[in-house]
Amino acid sequence: MSVTEYDVVIIGAGVAGLTTGALLAERGFNVALVTTGEPTACLSTGCVDVCSCDENPLTGIKNLPPEHPFHLVDEKTIRQSLNYFQTVMMDMGMPYAGSIEKNRSVVSALGTFKTSCLVPSTMEAAPQNNTDSIHIVTFKGIKDFYPGYIVSRRKNTNFSVFDAGVYSIMSIASRFEDKNFFERFIIWMDKLHIDEDKIALPAVAGLESASEIVNSIAVLMGKPVFEIPTIPPSMPGRRLFDALKKYFRKKGGAIYWAWPVVGTEKTGKLIEAVTTHSEGRPNSINARAFILGTGSFVGGGLTATRQDIMENVFNLPVHISGPRETWFDNDYFSLNHGIGRAGIIVDSSMRPADSPWNNIFLCGGILAETEILKNGCGHGLALATAHAAAQSCAEYLSHEL
Amino acid sequence: MNYEHCIRCTICVENCPVFRVNPDFPGPKQAGPDAQRFRSEKEKAQDEWVFLCSQCKRCEMACPCGVEPAQIILREQQRYGKEHPQTATHLLFANNYYLSALGSLTAPLANKFASSETGKNILRKIGISTYIPFPKFSFRAMRQGKKNLNKGTKKVAFFYGCFINFYRPDIGRKIVRLLAAMNVDVVLPPQWCCGLPALGNGNLALAKYFAQKNASSLSDYIDAGYDIVYACTSCGLCILHDYPGIMEIPQGKKIAESSYNLHEYIIKLINEGYAKPEFGKVRRKIAYHIPCHLRALKIGYPAQKLMATIPGLECEIFDDTCCGLSGSYGFKENNEFTAIQIGNRAVSLIKKTGAKNIVADCGSCRMQLEGLSGITALDPAEILCESLNITNQK
Repeated sequence: MSVTEYDVVIIGAGVAGLTTGALLAERGFNVALVTTGEPTACLSTGCVDVCSCDENPLTGIKNLPPEHPFHLVDEKTIRQSLNYFQTVMMDMGMPYAGSIEKNRSVVSALGTFKTSCLVPSTMEAAPQNNTDSIHIVTFKGIKDFYPGYIVSRRKNTNFSVFDAGVYSIMSIASRFEDKNFFERFIIWMDKLHIDEDKIALPAVAGLESASEIVNSIAVLMGKPVFEIPTIPPSMPGRRLFDALKKYFRKKGGAIYWAWPVVGTEKTGKLIEAVTTHSEGRPNSINARAFILGTGSFVGGGLTATRQDIMENVFNLPVHISGPRETWFDNDYFSLNHGIGRAGIIVDSSMRPADSPWNNIFLCGGILAETEILKNGCGHGLALATAHAAAQSCAEYLSHEL
Repeated sequence: MNYEHCIRCTICVENCPVFRVNPDFPGPKQAGPDAQRFRSEKEKAQDEWVFLCSQCKRCEMACPCGVEPAQIILREQQRYGKEHPQTATHLLFANNYYLSALGSLTAPLANKFASSETGKNILRKIGISTYIPFPKFSFRAMRQGKKNLNKGTKKVAFFYGCFINFYRPDIGRKIVRLLAAMNVDVVLPPQWCCGLPALGNGNLALAKYFAQKNASSLSDYIDAGYDIVYACTSCGLCILHDYPGIMEIPQGKKIAESSYNLHEYIIKLINEGYAKPEFGKVRRKIAYHIPCHLRALKIGYPAQKLMATIPGLECEIFDDTCCGLSGSYGFKENNEFTAIQIGNRAVSLIKKTGAKNIVADCGSCRMQLEGLSGITALDPAEILCESLNITNQK
C-alpha cells in the first residue's frame, strides 16, 4: 500500500471542498483533496445563490427555520466568505458582481428570472425587469438553447442565428478563445444593426477568458452584453470550478482525481487515514484532520436505498425527515420534498453530531436541513460553511500541535 | 459494464480534448454509454468513428458516477477491429514493436529515410503524418538480461518500454543508474511491446500476444523476489489496468500488485528509510506536463513530489491539458488536425510560464510538445539524475 501523509485531507472538489482547502493551505497547512470525479458545481449556472427567499439575502437567512445550518455561521463570517470568494475570483480573472445586501436577477434559458446574489460579470448586465428590449444572438444547430422560449415570454425580444461551424456548447466556447473566430463573429454582428437595448448570448463566450470576451463584445457593439446560463454542459459552472481549482493549486494544495474513498482507518476518536482505489495497490492517505464536502445525492455524498439513507465515506448517522412516505411530496415540482432535508447534523464546530469522531469537519450540501432548492442557498451556504469548517479545523490542528 | 450508471451530466464531454476540436467525434457520452445501449453482440460493429477517441481516459477521471466511457469505447474499438479488415496504418502502428526493432537495427538508414523529403512523402502516402519530426531510432537499444548488481536487498526488474528502448536508451541507462544509486539491484528482464499500440489500433489478439509474453517473463521475476518498475506511464497503465482488465491475462492481478511507477518506487524507498538521496541544486523553471495516463494510474504525481524536494527547481504543473499525440493516434493523417489543435493549446499555456524545459513522464508527450513548441522536453528522471549528478559517462 502506498502511504501519503498530510495535515488535512479534503474529500470532495466542489465549492465547499475547494474553498476549505484554499483557506487551510493559506494558513500553511499541507492539504490534499481527493475526489471521485468533477463536482456538481460544473453543472451549476455559476451563480452564487445565498438565500433567495427575501430581497435581502441576510434577512432571508434570519428567517430560515432554526435548524438550518446557515445559523451555525455568524453574519460576519458570511460577509467575509462572500468577500473572500469575490477576491479569489477577481484574482483568477473571473470577477463576480453583486452584494450580500441585495439579491439580483439572471435571465434563464426559459426567459424566466432566476434570483441569485453574486453572479459572474458576464451576467451582470442581465435585465432586472421586463422593460429593456433584448436581442438574442444564438448559434446554428445548438441543441441546448432555444431563444423561442425567451421570445414567447418577453416583449421587445428578437433573435439572430450565427453559424459557428460547430454545434455544441463546448466546441463553440472553445472557438471563442480563437482571435480569427472572434473577428468573424464581430463582423457578422456588426451587419445586424441591432436596435435593441441589450444583447444576450447563451453562455458560450469562451472558457478561460469569458469576462474579457463579453467585455470586448460590449465595447465593440456599444451596448451591454450578457450571457444566459444553459443546461449542462454549463460553461459558467465549469469556469467557476476551473478558477477555484486553479486557486487551490496556487496556494499549494494537491488534487487527486478519480480517487473515490473506499475505506477508512480509525483509532479511538480519530480517523487516521482514508484508503482509495488505484490500479494495482490501494492508496492510503494519512492526515490529522478530514474535511467532508461530498455534497448530497447528486454530488455523491449520500445514497438512498428503499429504507435508508447512507453517508458514503465515514458512514456518519444521516438525519432524515421521517419514514420513506415523508421523503417525497406528491407534486414532482414541489419545493417541499422531505428528502431535501436529509444530511448530517453538525455541532457548532462543524463536527458531526452523535458520532465519536473528533477530527472530521463538514461543509456544503452534505449538511442536514439545507433544503437548497427551496431556499436558493447552494453555493452561498457552501462558501459560508467552508469558512466555518476551515476555522474549526485550523483551531483543532493548532491546538493539537 | 457500468453504462447504466450514467446520469448524462456531460462532465465527460467537457473534459474530452478531441471533442473540443473535432466535430466529427460525438464525444465520450454519446460514443460511450449512450451508444452502448444500442450496441448488440449479435450485430456487426458499425461505429468506425470510435477510432477518433484517443484513449486519454480524461472522461473516466472526470466522471462523478464511476462510468468508464473510454473503456466502453476501447471495447468497441476491439470489436470493430476484429470484424473489419485492418487498414495499413492500423496494422503498421499495432506492430510498432517490430517496425521499431527494425528501425533500431538499421538506425542510420532508417533515420535518414524518415527525415528526408522522399521518406516523408512516402510516409504521408500511407497515411502517416509528419508535422513533428519522426523520433530518431537509436542504434544501441537496451541490452536485455543485463544486471546491475549492487548487493542491495531490493531487487528491481525494469520494464523500460519501446520508446526508451528504440529511441532513447540513454534515458533508460540513466534510470538504471538512478535506481543503482538508491542501492537497488536492477535487471532488464526479457520484454516486448506492452501491447497498448495494438489495443489502440483495435487489434486485441496481437495485444494479448504481447501481453502474455511479458506477463510470463515478469511473473517469473516477481516469483524470484523482484519488484517491477516501469518508467513510461502508458506502458504502466496498460500493465496495471488492461492486463487484468480487457486482456484477461491470468497473471495480470499479480503483476499489477507488484508494479511501481519509477518515482513512486523511489518515494517508497525513501519512506522505508532504505534510500536517502541528497538532491543537489537545479536552478531552473520547468513546466511539468502530466501525461493523461499518469493521471489515470491514480497514484498521484510522484515525480512532482520528488522534484519538489530539489532546491532551486521551480515547477509548474499542467494536468488539464492533453498533448494530443496519444502514441500512434496523432501520427495518423486523419487525426493530424486534432492532434495539432490539442497540442497547441497545451503549448500555449506552457509558453506563458517562460519555463526553460518541459518535463513529462511519457515519451510521446515529450515528442509532441517539443516538436510543437521548440522547448526541450525532459523525462523527470533526467532532472533527478541531474540533481544527483548521475551521468551516462563512466
